[in-house]
Amino acid sequence: MDNLQSNQKITRSPLFKFLMLEFICLVLMISDKNNRVAQPIRDTLSLAAIPLIKIVEWPQELYQIAEIAVSRQARLIEENNDLKERLLDAELKVQQNISLSAENQRLRELLNASQNSPLTTSVAFVSNITQTQNKQQIIIDQGSSDGLFVGQAVLNLAGVIGQVDVLGRDFAHIILITDTSHAIPVEVLRTGLRTIAYGRGDHVFLAEIPTSANIESGDVLVTSGFGGRFPRGLQLAEVDDVSVSPERTFKTAKAIPFAQLNRLTEVFLVWPDQVAVIDASSPQDATVNDQLIEAGTASTTANQTNSEGNNDG
Amino acid sequence: MMAKRSSNNTTFMHLSMLGGVLLTLLPWSPTLALLQPHWAAMMIAYWSLNAANSRVMYVAFAYGLLLDVLMGALLGKHGMSLVALSFLVTKSAKKLRMTSFWQLLMMVLVWLFNDIVIRAAIDWVSYRYQPELIDLLPLLTAALIWPWLKYLMDRTQTSMRLS
Repeated sequence: MDNLQSNQKITRSPLFKFLMLEFICLVLMISDKNNRVAQPIRDTLSLAAIPLIKIVEWPQELYQIAEIAVSRQARLIEENNDLKERLLDAELKVQQNISLSAENQRLRELLNASQNSPLTTSVAFVSNITQTQNKQQIIIDQGSSDGLFVGQAVLNLAGVIGQVDVLGRDFAHIILITDTSHAIPVEVLRTGLRTIAYGRGDHVFLAEIPTSANIESGDVLVTSGFGGRFPRGLQLAEVDDVSVSPERTFKTAKAIPFAQLNRLTEVFLVWPDQVAVIDASSPQDATVNDQLIEAGTASTTANQTNSEGNNDG
Repeated sequence: MMAKRSSNNTTFMHLSMLGGVLLTLLPWSPTLALLQPHWAAMMIAYWSLNAANSRVMYVAFAYGLLLDVLMGALLGKHGMSLVALSFLVTKSAKKLRMTSFWQLLMMVLVWLFNDIVIRAAIDWVSYRYQPELIDLLPLLTAALIWPWLKYLMDRTQTSMRLS
């Protein structure tokens, strides 16, 4: 009896509660960091977070609606004309591209190389919500219920902006390429030199360029497709300044991203094409794979050539 | 009568906590965002001091997890710092009610500093974040806001008790 009472005292003491809660937090952090076991907990909690996000978003949406309602017709006409001009411009470029892509296809056939499949993308909107984390992140209005996955590449019209970092059920956090903990494999478009671009707050930084390499300001950086996270050939940043590292072992370069990362309103999520999905499928999906192989050997050989082509590229 | 009053108080506590979380989420201009105090931590400090009850720790834990999900942080990061804050305040709450205004303000700043340190440490462990002096700016605004916040919350509670 005495023992029981002392037990009760222990569980009721603030110190015990404190240690217990801190222990739970520690376990949550470790499971979240290492193997994403905490994802179900995050999904459940994100249901409670959605109303809060909506409350912050509503006044902004109302303001925008009011702005449109109040804005003068003349301004709208002006904007309309501007958009029409841009559309014409874009259509002209598309026409040029059609002949270019036909030419490209013929050349690729000559070289027996794989075809670059067009990207599958979907649009998501950026929520204007402050992030007090010491990370450069934005929130978008789609999450795991829309089929997003961690590490998915995110673009906007100007270029690559980042990748999915943390997933909620109906929203996701995107880490930007300029974040100091982010790195992305890139290629210099002019010379084909491959290196890695590290985030540095407001720009990206190439820290490991061989001193003999040919790189100059104005060079365009595109994703190299290494690591398999970002598709190949998406434009990313323009080299602004080239210098030599303090130890004189490498050249370094500072590059400014094309996308205006502090003024994002909508972003595009990149979906891996079907081939990649089949290749990456886990052993449990072996039966599905087998069926696919039985269904058509032609398609699998196509897959193989495709993946070989990717390796070559 | 007592039960009603305490339930009223609990509602007010949750409302103020939600208000704190919302204030954190509101989009400010980048300069103001740097000065943004940790509202939720200030609310937890106030309620731990006011209630002097270790139950506030559970509240701190729950809202910490909510903040983690909203901020895309490691699950448990805000929870850990807020629970620690709540524990420290609860431990000395009864003594602190007697202290002078300035002493209390100093103590609040120390608690909030501790909160910042815990979060910076977790960031450092999880992705090698290098802390900067700028991270301490929110303490300055917290020092300016705390007296008004305490006064406002005390007044609201008093008027609720009277009505």
